[in-house]
Amino acid sequence: MNEYIITNEQINQLASELLNKNWNVVAESSDGISFKSITQGEDIKLNPSSKPSNLSPKQFFFPKSETLFFYKKTQTDVEIIDTAGVGNKTIIFGVKPCDTALTGILSKVFNWDYKDEFFNKKVENTVLIGLKCGYNDDDCFCTSVGLSPESEKGSDIFLVPLEDGSFLAKAVTEKGSEFVKENSKFFAPATDAKSKPVEMKAAPQKKFDPARIKEWLDHNFENEYWKSLGDLCLGCAQCAYVCPTCHCFDIVDENFDYMSGRRVKNWDCCQYTMFTKHASGHNPRSHQSDRYRQRVFHKFKYYPDRFETILCTGCGRCIRGCGIGMNISEVLQQIDKF
Amino acid sequence: MAQLVELAKELLESGKVSLIIGYTAKGDNATYPFIAYTAAEAEKLVFNHHCVNNLSVYINRLDIPEAGKIGIVVKGCDARALSMLIQESQIKRENVLIIGVNCNGVVKDVEMEWKKENVAPKCAVCEVRTPKLYDELIGTLEDFEKPDPTAMQIIAKIEAMTPKERWAFWQNEFDKCIKCYACRQVCPLCYCDRCIVDENTPQWIETSATARGNFSWNIIRALHQSGRCVGCGECSRVCPMGIPIGVLNMKMNMIGMSEFGFKPGMDINEPTLVGSYKFDDKENFIR
Amino acid sequence: MQTIENIYKPILVEIIEVIQETADVKTFKLKFKDPEQQKSFSFKAGQFAEYSVFGVGECTFCIASSPTRMDVIECSFKVAGKVTSALDRLNVGDTMGLRGPYGNWFPIEEMKGKNVVFIAGGIGLAPVRCVIWNVLDLRKEFKDVTIIYGSRSVGDLVYKRELEEWAQMNDVKTVVTVDPGGETPDWKGEIGFVPTIVEKVAPSGVDTVAIICGPPIMIKYTFPVLEKLGFTEDNMITTLENRMKCGLGKCGRCNVGNVYVCKDGPVFTHKQIKALPDEY
Repeated sequence: MNEYIITNEQINQLASELLNKNWNVVAESSDGISFKSITQGEDIKLNPSSKPSNLSPKQFFFPKSETLFFYKKTQTDVEIIDTAGVGNKTIIFGVKPCDTALTGILSKVFNWDYKDEFFNKKVENTVLIGLKCGYNDDDCFCTSVGLSPESEKGSDIFLVPLEDGSFLAKAVTEKGSEFVKENSKFFAPATDAKSKPVEMKAAPQKKFDPARIKEWLDHNFENEYWKSLGDLCLGCAQCAYVCPTCHCFDIVDENFDYMSGRRVKNWDCCQYTMFTKHASGHNPRSHQSDRYRQRVFHKFKYYPDRFETILCTGCGRCIRGCGIGMNISEVLQQIDKF
Repeated sequence: MAQLVELAKELLESGKVSLIIGYTAKGDNATYPFIAYTAAEAEKLVFNHHCVNNLSVYINRLDIPEAGKIGIVVKGCDARALSMLIQESQIKRENVLIIGVNCNGVVKDVEMEWKKENVAPKCAVCEVRTPKLYDELIGTLEDFEKPDPTAMQIIAKIEAMTPKERWAFWQNEFDKCIKCYACRQVCPLCYCDRCIVDENTPQWIETSATARGNFSWNIIRALHQSGRCVGCGECSRVCPMGIPIGVLNMKMNMIGMSEFGFKPGMDINEPTLVGSYKFDDKENFIR
Repeated sequence: MQTIENIYKPILVEIIEVIQETADVKTFKLKFKDPEQQKSFSFKAGQFAEYSVFGVGECTFCIASSPTRMDVIECSFKVAGKVTSALDRLNVGDTMGLRGPYGNWFPIEEMKGKNVVFIAGGIGLAPVRCVIWNVLDLRKEFKDVTIIYGSRSVGDLVYKRELEEWAQMNDVKTVVTVDPGGETPDWKGEIGFVPTIVEKVAPSGVDTVAIICGPPIMIKYTFPVLEKLGFTEDNMITTLENRMKCGLGKCGRCNVGNVYVCKDGPVFTHKQIKALPDEY
């Protein structure tokens, strides 16, 4: 039996208790911009119908800037110093299915032959409390990429809002069940007398077929269509950085002083001109249209080819965030019509 | 707007311009940048309260081959950016055909409903509702309810802080920065072929999205925009983290105005502030 | 808090010799600082590594030495950007980092029993050198061995001492050329572009594997010559270079279409190269 009932008040109390135990407790910030560590239990206000935050919670698994190691130099020698390693246990409350899915999707590339333990340990160390989604706008397309507002993929515990204001809490994974056991005073076993789930906005209609699109992409690298997309894209990294699944990064050395510093892994983006530029000056993707094409191909062909997973959750953040209106959903719908 | 479509079709059909950079409608409540190459495409051009984007960013950035004159639809604030590009010798005056629009205000962000609370802060203090620079002028001026000057309010709030408080304020804001460079890419005046953050021998400005890296980036951009920024507000609009970066640029411009009497983009014949000197420039800050 | 296994952490190596190959090309001979790590390190000819200058960054080069000679690891590089400039300033005794080996390798096993032709231009000899020595160290397993190498000028020839060593071997045919105009008055080798010299030497493509590396334009004109000589698409092998960072298939930078140069390459057959989209 893995269904329980938890009220809003109990969620806040649970959060307070975890804070006292030095957990990193994270929830969506009230300004809707990103997910943030909270300092008091009352700061958690779960809203299933809220628009996705500007920034996904990806950075709790794949931070925007992460130290790989420190180095200390002497005249001719170097000492490599490991970082502190895994931090406090983390729990993220109220993550919609288009975000919970990111751990499973990114796990494929971060464990491709070599295991990126920076990512893996964070996933291991984090409890994801998913939340059924009641938001749906023109930019959402989770149902077109194999997800839905009720998808439990990636959640350890999945919350479904009930009519009486409480939540049905399903323990989805073993980690979730363990968590419930350890915090059982906040979870009451669900009975048949439980309240009905709240009626929420219908799921987005399927807008395109990714299998058909991949088939088109397989044969249309040189298609004229890509040229038109390069005119307006300004080549910033907003779409990649707000995205729950974009994972490209840069590795640089940063010095503290003449003799010491750190090597750091930073978010990077294929839309930047410099991304593929060789030291010789040659740039394999010299036009914005080449770069935008790379984005679509990577997400909807290369990643599926290699990992049988689409590198996209349909959250629509890239579309909402783009200052000049680039819309990957429309591009895909157009391709589906070809 | 019929007047715009007529004009655009005539310009394209006669070959006076090879393309027109304008806006096209997206649903009822939004417009986005659009390039019309033919008279048929010109039918899609619109102008309304949702025409927020500053299209002059495309003048130098377009990946299209040089082919005759470029037509562009601009509001007064956008025209100031075009003017600065001409003053800084980035484009030749004769290579652009400027379609100026008498502007009756735009929304803060593209898909917002047109009402007082949603009007862009810059419209509260706009002096260029009729653009200062144009070849053709369309539209008519109409009154609209001006919003509260929130940008000025933020500046007043910061000016009232002690240096320590200001440092803490900006530290808090820049902490959020994710170094997406949307602010840089959307800015018409950030046109360097190789931005200073892309210089890596040495790496003047760190690329990491840490306190140090973010501060360096945002400050260097504000410094590079001092006396050049035209206050179109696009940088603040596109920032995904809601950092009020435009405010820094506005403050620097206020100094440019008060100390040197220069307001960017108001007169294409005026030498730029950072590109020229006058013998009677104040020197009271040199100690 | 326990530390975690770190795939991005390099091994420390010390520079024990620096050889100035040409004005802007150097070879480093490296020894692992920890002898245990040297013992447990193994690689195959064609694989690459990420070399660190701590405080400056990492750079991708092939491992230029052969896996049959594990007492030192060698790398050669041309000064081009930030990290290579910093490498240029290092001296004997300095410490560097090495991460690897990564990527795939030349199909040495499949080449056994066949003739082998090595064709290289300029610094392209570096990634080929590892497999030349690998083959020469196992000379009996291969039939005819031909080395055709050219550079813009005499001054640009790399591994000069080894070119002489190979020329002395009586079971190896070595042909060295410089571009027309690049010869010195006492130059005794060939004069002509590499593809032209390949045509002149005319190694038969029957039962032969060709390993080619050099500037893109050299490769472009060499392939048709080899095709005419009877080489098959699967028997023409090259090694590709692209901007890389992690070397582990994660940072998303080096892909050419569906192919990740750091994972599916850097060694490719001509057939595989032809299938790649035009973005490298």
